[in-house]
Amino acid sequence: MLKLPNVMRTKSFKAYLFLLPAMIVALLFSFLPLAKCLMLSFFTVSQSGRIVAFNGLGNYISLFQNSDFINSVLNTLKFIIIFLPVNTFLTLLAAAVTRKARRTTAVTEFIFLTPLAMSLSALALIMKEIFRGRVSVINRLTDLSLSWLEESGSAMAVLVILSLFLDFALDYILLLAAFRSTDKSIIEAAEIDGAHGMSLFFRIELPSIRNVLAVTIFTALKDAILISAPVMVLTEGGPFRSTETVMYYYYLEAFRSGNRATETTIAVIMVLFSVIIMSLISRRRRDV
Amino acid sequence: MYKVLRVLITIILAVLVLFPLFYTISASFFSPQDFTDTKAHLLPSEFSFRNYELALTHRYFPVYALNSLITALLTATLKCLTAILSAFAFTHLSFKGKKALLITLLATLFIPPDAMLYENYVMTARLGLLDTYLGIVFPSIFSATAMLLTMGSYLSADKDIYEASAIDGAGDLRYISSILVPMTAPVSITIFLQSFISAFNSYLWPLLVTTRPRMRTIQIGITMLGFAEEGEMGAQFASIAIITLPCLVLLFFCRKMIMKALSGGIK
Repeated sequence: MLKLPNVMRTKSFKAYLFLLPAMIVALLFSFLPLAKCLMLSFFTVSQSGRIVAFNGLGNYISLFQNSDFINSVLNTLKFIIIFLPVNTFLTLLAAAVTRKARRTTAVTEFIFLTPLAMSLSALALIMKEIFRGRVSVINRLTDLSLSWLEESGSAMAVLVILSLFLDFALDYILLLAAFRSTDKSIIEAAEIDGAHGMSLFFRIELPSIRNVLAVTIFTALKDAILISAPVMVLTEGGPFRSTETVMYYYYLEAFRSGNRATETTIAVIMVLFSVIIMSLISRRRRDV
Repeated sequence: MYKVLRVLITIILAVLVLFPLFYTISASFFSPQDFTDTKAHLLPSEFSFRNYELALTHRYFPVYALNSLITALLTATLKCLTAILSAFAFTHLSFKGKKALLITLLATLFIPPDAMLYENYVMTARLGLLDTYLGIVFPSIFSATAMLLTMGSYLSADKDIYEASAIDGAGDLRYISSILVPMTAPVSITIFLQSFISAFNSYLWPLLVTTRPRMRTIQIGITMLGFAEEGEMGAQFASIAIITLPCLVLLFFCRKMIMKALSGGIK
């Protein structure tokens, strides 16, 4: 088809106009802030963001010599090591036992989706009340006498429980969709070969969703590395900084201490992490 | 054997998943004594709507709820609009730098907003948008995921209709609003629903960009109602129940759609 040059031009102009809102948001809240962080992280910066002197890798080096930062890295690692396996196990289990369409499917799906309706602050308030003090609801129900939120180990446990609720529904949906899109003919062929129940599940169905499972785990890992809001509403990093994660430390440094060097340096490191994980995800996604 | 195990696991998981919700609804009817009894209550000792009255007559509760409703509607509407316009441009128009612009917009997926929290705050402050609705919604009105989802549905739209409507003299906006969007409505509705729920439930960003009580959204508001300090834990739970209910209803009626939207790329 022959296109006149001036028609092309008006189309171009119109296309740019249509893309303008998206580009403005991307520019203002993704690219400009990232460029600023990248640049400032190599300089000595005043609290207002004014550049004082070039500092090379100085900010990065002093960040890794900072014991508070190292503490937050260790806390985040601890969180990930507990959260990731438990989260994967529970969501996979829930998806596995409800994967087949039955009469009760509508009920089980709705139940496992309900955490989606509960917001972070609502869940945090509920957790705080359930685990409050020595006479907490949980303790009275189970005859324990643990001050959950006042002791390091158990505070981390409550943080993990809260995060499990926040991630559960989404991971469940992803895994359930994956199970249901498994090629039926493969399953039928395996059934004819005598595979049933457990062996069918572990030999055929689970391997067939491995890519989606990997995507779910990587996404949960990315969220876990970036965890900050649940810490803020639940424990504020306490007791004794035992739940102070990297991104909560970032929040404290940026908003409370006005330390721009630490803020921009952590931001750059976090973007790097997220780029690595996102590229792992997109590689898996392509062959889902 | 396998069946018994399966049903058992399902029930245990269901009980665990439902516990916070169950406790919230139950505790929203508790009297102040029910919270402090030596034997923990799971059900209220008597049935009364007193806690709901306390929550609903709180000076700021309706203000917070209205703010949340406005910002969630704004976010969902604007996010759909930016997704529709950009998806249309990428699938229906030819222009210079198309690929570069697409890659640029998709690159935002790699930049986590959490890591840009402070810089985005500074940006919002510099734009003079602190304590405004626009400030609360602005960073989240474009999502590359929503654009990709919309593009997917537009790619399968019949180009002949577009060309026919162009010959008939209908402009692009006319084509989008009266043919393309109605034809792909399920996708736009799912994006709308999902962004509504996530905007309604968002906590951190609205907390940072608002300072006046009149601008607070409900998610921040419920942590500041002061019921716990007055010994009215029941009213605190009633307020949680009130804000959870709309999302539960949405989930109940649009379960299939929401699941489809969230499973996104996976067929």
